[in-house]
Amino acid sequence: MASSEDIILRDYVLSAASVINAAGGNNGDNPTNLGVSDFSLVAATLDTNNAYKFMSGIEGMDRFGTGPVRSAYFMLSSTELQPDFDGLTGSGFLSQWNYPTNASALPSEYGSVFNIRILVSSEAPVARAASANDRDVYYNFVFGKQALTHINQDGYSMNLIYRDPYYSGMLAQNATLAVKFAQAQALTQDTAVRNLAATRSGN
Amino acid sequence: MTEYSRCAKGSFTVAASPVVQVINLPFQPTLVHLRNQTAFSTPAQYALVEAWWDSSMSQGTADIEYIEAASAPWIPAVDYVSTGGISTFSCGQALQFGPQMQVASTTKATSTITTASAHGLSTGDVVILEGMYQTSTTGIPQLSNIPWKVTVTGSTTFTINFNFNQSNYSNLSASPTGAYVRKVLCPYLYLPGVDYISAISISGTSIAVTTSTNHNYVVGQEVAFRIPAAFGSVELNSLPNSSIPGSPIYYYVSAVNSNTQFTITGPSTGVSAFTSNIAVSSVPGLTWAQVVAVGDVNTGGTPYSGGNLYPSPSFPTSSGGAATINGPAISGAFVNNTSQGFTIGLGIGTVQTSALLLTASSTYTWEAFYYDIN
Repeated sequence: MASSEDIILRDYVLSAASVINAAGGNNGDNPTNLGVSDFSLVAATLDTNNAYKFMSGIEGMDRFGTGPVRSAYFMLSSTELQPDFDGLTGSGFLSQWNYPTNASALPSEYGSVFNIRILVSSEAPVARAASANDRDVYYNFVFGKQALTHINQDGYSMNLIYRDPYYSGMLAQNATLAVKFAQAQALTQDTAVRNLAATRSGN
Repeated sequence: MTEYSRCAKGSFTVAASPVVQVINLPFQPTLVHLRNQTAFSTPAQYALVEAWWDSSMSQGTADIEYIEAASAPWIPAVDYVSTGGISTFSCGQALQFGPQMQVASTTKATSTITTASAHGLSTGDVVILEGMYQTSTTGIPQLSNIPWKVTVTGSTTFTINFNFNQSNYSNLSASPTGAYVRKVLCPYLYLPGVDYISAISISGTSIAVTTSTNHNYVVGQEVAFRIPAAFGSVELNSLPNSSIPGSPIYYYVSAVNSNTQFTITGPSTGVSAFTSNIAVSSVPGLTWAQVVAVGDVNTGGTPYSGGNLYPSPSFPTSSGGAATINGPAISGAFVNNTSQGFTIGLGIGTVQTSALLLTASSTYTWEAFYYDIN
């Protein structure tokens, strides 16, 4: 049920938010693959725009292989980009496994780069073979808290409708299973959201 | 009519210069019936009377009945539209593209792109370009990965809504490797959306902005600019605001000049000229200039002035708009256009080529059905 809502919100942000093409990678495409400078640039831009961060930092602890995590914005990315994130290990990427504590890490969290914590999903938007050099283009949304508004209309958010086959016809052949929700979206502050478009380092 | 059937009806008036009619519905019909009311009240030779499309027929076709006689009695005849007829569509997901079509050449003097084979596009369609390199340092790769509204000028030619007759753009020839054009199947999922800027014309405080596709804005709504330094006019950007740090600068749309151009009232001084003459060398990682709708009244909703109490917003907003399936929209919200429905093209009779599917200046009624049992 919420998956439908998520997909609608995803398509909305994709349609409404301005795009920054990644330029920090080295694959020579437009957009390029993600480089750490892209994360730095986006975080700096959101900071300059006084966007609110979602998460406070995680203080360093005396544990092998861990490092402190900065206070952060959320970036929603595709699972297909995970190898590219791993490729940035040592140059800015900190795997979620290497956080001092996983207490505040979300189940879908893959890691962080500077002031951005990365959440991955297989439902993240991808435009296949749409880059200048025919690579897949991945759209990574980076949010400050005040960027978007989600409005539930008519005082309700979501209904799951199910009518079993008995009620749907004399021969009880057809059932009804549907989700109904009335919602609207608004971009309340464009300066607090970035759609960071990127390709992969390979193809 | 049984449990899962759907039916809808409506009407529209064809413009003096007919354009493709888009009918948004909450379902994808399996049967469409058109009826030209004007042909009954004001009959004329070759005027369309009725048309049908059924899902057992090919997309983009129609069976038609038109008036064959030149005078009374107005005896009808039948014919068949093989292309440019009635098609259904379903825009469930963002960013679906048609197949790659090889680009054969370009003509920068007229902003024309020529494909190696028939492109099958219609005026008003949206495409993206890929590659567009002639060599590693020449061509028009700057225009890749940006949606462009096209005007069809021939079966293998079309122009885009951008003037690339500039020094940093050079022509393609002999079907260069990797140069493709692809149709964007559902370019307007939410309205209004992010728009790419083709040109900005500054005249005092009147700033006319031309966009690469339909901007879908209405007078009175707020917009924000995101213009990289290479394009100039960075003073329009929503941030930084030198007076109030952290406070975004938005502008109101003061006029909608066309489907791809609107005017804002900008600052009286200090806005530098806009240039789209971008060097090929800057292409890796190039971010194009954009404008987005923000804040209040993005919906296209209009004040009540008689007629339907809560009309659905129509897009594009300047001319030739099609009503969305949405009811009255919330001010400040974007309109969901992830719709289904059907389109009526500009097809002609296969035998009688004077019989047009859309007769100019005629009022049509339509019925659309989705049946349980086909």
